[in-house]
Amino acid sequence: MIKVGKPDVSPDKPSHTRGVPEGNGTGNYEKQPGHLPDGRSTQRRSTGINPSHREPILDSMPNLSPA
Amino acid sequence: MKQGTRTRSDMKPTKGGLVEVAFDPITRIVGNLGIYTKIDFANKQVAECRSTSSIFRGYSVFMKGKDPRDAHFITSRICGICGDNHATCSIYAQNMAYGIKPPPLAEWIINLGEAAEYMFDHTLFQDNLVFVDFCERMVAETNPGLLATAKTTEAPRGSLHGFKTIADIMTAFNPFEGSVYKQALEMSRITREMCCLMEGRHVHPSTLYPGGVGTVATPQVFTDYLVRLTRCLDFVKRAVAMNDDIFDFFLEALPGYDQVGRRRTLLGCWSAFQDPNVCDYDYRHMSEWGRAAFVTPGIVVDGRLLTTDLVDINLGMRILLGSSYYDDWVNDETFVRQDPLGNPVDQRHPWNQTTLPHPQKRDLDGGNYSWVMSPRWLHPETGEHLALDTGGGPLARLWATALAGEVDTPYVRSTGHSVQIDLPKTPGMPEVNLEWRPPQYANTIERDRARAYFIAYAAGMALFFAEKALDEVRAGRTKVFTDFEVPEEAIGAGFHEAVRGVLSHHLVIRDHKIANYHPYPPTPWNASPRDSYGTPGPYEDAVQEMPLFEENGPDDFKGIDIMRTVRSFDPCLPCGVHMYVGGGRTIERRHSPMFGEQGA
Repeated sequence: MIKVGKPDVSPDKPSHTRGVPEGNGTGNYEKQPGHLPDGRSTQRRSTGINPSHREPILDSMPNLSPA
Repeated sequence: MKQGTRTRSDMKPTKGGLVEVAFDPITRIVGNLGIYTKIDFANKQVAECRSTSSIFRGYSVFMKGKDPRDAHFITSRICGICGDNHATCSIYAQNMAYGIKPPPLAEWIINLGEAAEYMFDHTLFQDNLVFVDFCERMVAETNPGLLATAKTTEAPRGSLHGFKTIADIMTAFNPFEGSVYKQALEMSRITREMCCLMEGRHVHPSTLYPGGVGTVATPQVFTDYLVRLTRCLDFVKRAVAMNDDIFDFFLEALPGYDQVGRRRTLLGCWSAFQDPNVCDYDYRHMSEWGRAAFVTPGIVVDGRLLTTDLVDINLGMRILLGSSYYDDWVNDETFVRQDPLGNPVDQRHPWNQTTLPHPQKRDLDGGNYSWVMSPRWLHPETGEHLALDTGGGPLARLWATALAGEVDTPYVRSTGHSVQIDLPKTPGMPEVNLEWRPPQYANTIERDRARAYFIAYAAGMALFFAEKALDEVRAGRTKVFTDFEVPEEAIGAGFHEAVRGVLSHHLVIRDHKIANYHPYPPTPWNASPRDSYGTPGPYEDAVQEMPLFEENGPDDFKGIDIMRTVRSFDPCLPCGVHMYVGGGRTIERRHSPMFGEQGA
């Protein structure tokens, strides 16, 4: 094997700390405002300020939230 | 690296004797590919070739013990030009391990990013690096007779690309001065922007994750992409016509040039562009979703499509030693005895590989001489360990896709014997209908020509993906991410196409951590040394016994035909070529993309 120096950190140091929510964790999608269970989203996804005023004007229109 | 050269007395004597000529380093695998040849100048051919690499990186060693969710960010750094291919492939492997399927919009976004990457990288490599070997200044130095013919040969497709003679095209290839060279640089900027729109950054994506993407899918992001794509299409249409003209000219003006870089047709393609309607990343259905990909996986042997089944492709992979600086791992741990379908997995399969580096002196005479291992594919019928190559990427992709007859989209179709690409009308050019047919030989020229066609293929596919993505957005289906938990134990395999060919990532998770991880990019396949059965790797095979058409003799030999061959596999332009000819006399030439600007 190749000789290497002493590592500064343990190579198997867990990147996750217990108690801190993980971005990929199940249930996260449901917790985020503006995301509907069927995969669509509402204006609440983009803003918390009067989001209902920014919904599409017709039901047949898709909800295209800005970035 | 300087290597002394002497005329070897122990070699088969020819009229002029064999002359050792070394090209080291040839870059792109982090600058450490060396091609060591013995040239028979009397008979104008290469007598022997060894391909070596003097760099060890050890991703498979230091990935162990890490959080598997970091894998795509870390392995992306394997390459400085196709890092997003590694990230994507790692994500495919992780999706399988976590048992998740990203939402369709996420898949279309990844496909769009990858299509932009193929367009970017192939254009940059072809026009700014490969064409330096075909440019007027280079041809004037190596084949002045050919340049004279080019000046009087009219370009058959001149009405499409705008160049009157073949020599005009060659002049346009001149680095820093030629119009094609300069235009290609501009194109590579635009295509990188396209990649960034989808993947956040180029070349190490910041918005690709297992389970989906972080890209916010607004209509604007896709229209920004389409505007750039339309600009590129004008260039792509002209480029294909120009490529056909220059390569046809070489084949016609130099009879026998089709034997340069020719090797047995042994091509592998591991598929690209997943179809979210079929792909669920479940290994048990991998045969079906592999075939549904928009670049079909396949192994082509002697012009015949052997398989399109990713499960067969996966199980046939063998990592051999023989001339590499590693100890064998047969007695080490077996991580995966059976795949999820119950098929036995060999100890030499990447899932079970343990990397045991054993640094030593390079021995080009029957000993070990490279850090590259020898990946091979076990032919299920003949039991041969096939030294597959990727044909630089595009040749294998187009060949497998053409013969499989699976792809059927509005802009790109496979007919079962060819690939048809229809590019719609764009501001500067009318509609163009292209058809790529498998060539007679897998050789240097056809590897280069396929690259131009694959840029058109990727562009056509990008149009299709953008339409599908916009369909999702217009229907309001904006979800781009699936959440997941990291399992305690799992295995995963990702199959993708890096720009220059096959790419696989094999992953084993234990105790929520990576227990084994083996990426196999295209270069180990192409640049592999002689394996334990004595089979040479593809570079060695293609260069060995190759005829030479360069008009220069040993005194001012540039090795242009060898360089064209090695570069046709898409490694990199040598930044420095050191060549030694004859007993103790040294000729040192430096070639660089700055050709003509820096001087020798």
